[in-house]
Amino acid sequence: MPTVFEETTPAPRQPPQHSPRHGGFRDRTHGWTSFALHPKDIRFETQEESEEIILFLRQHFITLLPSLLLCGLLLFVPPLLFPMIFRSLSQTIGLPVGYMVIGFSFWYVAAFGILLMNFIHWFFNIFIVTNRRIIDIDFVHLFYKEFSEAKIERIQDISFQTKGMVATMFDFGNVLIQTAGEHPNFIFESVPKPAKVVDVLSDLTRDTGRNPL
Amino acid sequence: MTPESIQTAGWLFFKIMIIVGIGLYSVFAGIIVRQEQLMSRVLEAATEPLLRLFVLLHLFASLGVLLAAIILL
Repeated sequence: MPTVFEETTPAPRQPPQHSPRHGGFRDRTHGWTSFALHPKDIRFETQEESEEIILFLRQHFITLLPSLLLCGLLLFVPPLLFPMIFRSLSQTIGLPVGYMVIGFSFWYVAAFGILLMNFIHWFFNIFIVTNRRIIDIDFVHLFYKEFSEAKIERIQDISFQTKGMVATMFDFGNVLIQTAGEHPNFIFESVPKPAKVVDVLSDLTRDTGRNPL
Repeated sequence: MTPESIQTAGWLFFKIMIIVGIGLYSVFAGIIVRQEQLMSRVLEAATEPLLRLFVLLHLFASLGVLLAAIILL
């Protein structure tokens, strides 16, 4: 008897594969990485087994420059100002040497603390694009962090803006992503190569449109 | 109260305020260590040991200044 209806098993749904047109190579990451395509040695807390990080982003390193300059300034204040302040205080109220030593030491520890806090803030403010979703982890301050995510297929509109001379020179800007989720707008702030980010996201959304999860 | 005793009380108050201030800063340094540990769970990156080293260094430095303040002041 001829087989009229051939029984076929539906192919398992695969997450969309990222197009190799973005290089198809894996970036080796280092501590200062602010842009990595297919990073090797980065994982995040809620990453699933089959989930692959396609793009890893932080704010451009140049955004740390004001903090570095401030700390540089703070390092030069004690040798310049403290001797004058302590001399005048010693003459008026007889300030003991111990207070000067503690003043100097604490100043440098606090300057290091300011630099450290700014660095931690930069280091843990990350944007991740996987083959399934986009994730925005905001480390606002010591007692407040925010984790937002949206499925790739919920992305509706992607745009970017590069504002100012520094942003143009160092090629960084904001990537704005509108989604249909509870968290309607994602802003990847001051990320390097915003045009490339938009390109990767556009390809991902197009691939997901062809092959919905 | 004599002027000397007022001056001594003033210095004692000043010393206590400085030690309390540095103590509070040490608590803040401890919170940074804890927060770094928590955030490291969110993001596992290759450079975390170095960052942890700096965070611990900051905590020990602030505790060192606190100890020095208690001894020297």
